[in-house]
Amino acid sequence: MGPKPEVDTDRLSDETLAIQVSRGSSTALEVLYDRHGATVLGFALRIVGERTAAEDVLQETFWRVWKNAETFQPQRGSFTSWLFRIARNLAIDVYRRGSVRPQTIPGDDDSASDLDQTPDPDMDVASQAQSALENKQIRNALTSLPGAQRQIIELAYFHGMTRQEIAEATGEALGTIHTRARLALQKLREELEREKFEG
Amino acid sequence: MENHIEDLLPFYALDALTEEEREQVEAYLATHPEARTQLEEMSRAVSVLPRGVPPVNPEPRTKSALLARVAADQRARSSVKSQPSQRVNRFQSLFRPLGFAVAILALMWILLLNLQVVGLNRQVTALHDALAAQSDSLNQIIQKLPQGTPSDTITVSLKGTDVEPQAQGQLIANPTSQSAVLVVTGLPPLEPGKTYQVWLIGGAPVSAGLLTVDANGQGVLIITSEEAIGSFNSLGISVEPEGGSPQPTGDIVVLSDL
Repeated sequence: MGPKPEVDTDRLSDETLAIQVSRGSSTALEVLYDRHGATVLGFALRIVGERTAAEDVLQETFWRVWKNAETFQPQRGSFTSWLFRIARNLAIDVYRRGSVRPQTIPGDDDSASDLDQTPDPDMDVASQAQSALENKQIRNALTSLPGAQRQIIELAYFHGMTRQEIAEATGEALGTIHTRARLALQKLREELEREKFEG
Repeated sequence: MENHIEDLLPFYALDALTEEEREQVEAYLATHPEARTQLEEMSRAVSVLPRGVPPVNPEPRTKSALLARVAADQRARSSVKSQPSQRVNRFQSLFRPLGFAVAILALMWILLLNLQVVGLNRQVTALHDALAAQSDSLNQIIQKLPQGTPSDTITVSLKGTDVEPQAQGQLIANPTSQSAVLVVTGLPPLEPGKTYQVWLIGGAPVSAGLLTVDANGQGVLIITSEEAIGSFNSLGISVEPEGGSPQPTGDIVVLSDL
């Protein structure tokens, strides 16, 4: 995976690193990649369903971070929110172009067992533990959603479908779709609070 | 309308709206702070969704390819940064003499403009003098009119139109009388075949006679009407073919209310 960047840079926040990237620091970009690359790849893979395409999305995502870092505005949200918005838009584009098909079928299935989930050897143990805990909290919260609500999240967020497309795909009325979407996000928020998710 | 927009908030947070719907929501959010609070809570929930997916370690080649692109971009940026200083030096050495010449030309242009302004000022002064002379002429003509005009005689000032803005005149009349005296200055002599015609206007214009001006643009006309002068609303003077016209056909050079 290459030499580990300097320790001092490792301790900087995402937002500080983004500012350094905007000033031309490839080292800062490398730290961000090492920190979030695996999550971005897993996320892209979830949407596009094919490994090579997902790796391309990952590379393009961080290339756009490099080229557009000066447009990141901390007051409008976290760096990871901005990062995953870029990744999602790229992945949805790939998905919509139809060159790939999602690996998973929307619903209760969470078929990630055949994927490489080896922990990143460059991350320190504490960070790995914290990250793993948070990810588990999020998955628990998602799992707690009723199937119909989780399906709305899957179709809207991971497949980029509009509410009209979701209504058509599920055969449900728009009003039902609206209600399920609102309840899904409300319950997700409540579950994260219950899990004491600190994010 | 508001319920409809609030139904869209979860989909705004999920980024699953059409462009038109996004604009509707953003317009709504601008004026509904409580909706912004709701949206923030929904957005926080949505922001964690990517981390609900198991992470996958990337292939090493992906990072290598990314860093290679970044390095190439850094080299390109460095190359662009070093060029402008060289371009600036060449620019300065090439254009310094030209800059001096441009400055001289600019100075000459300013001097020329000043001369033009001085000339224009002289023209304006001459025009003012001519106007004053016309007014003096008008007053002289009026003074030559028979003295002792009845106390109910009125004098109406007349003005030129945009066609002959320098024209002016006076109509001296007793409103109950059918006669009046018209004195005009500032009307240029016309070419052969044309004449000035005076009109009294109450409904349809009624010809009040043909007006001849001298070389100085001055003319006097004794008007005789079949009706009292006071029964008309306005007076006009137009350019007509020699001999006059039944109705105004040419440019109106004077038009004033009585």
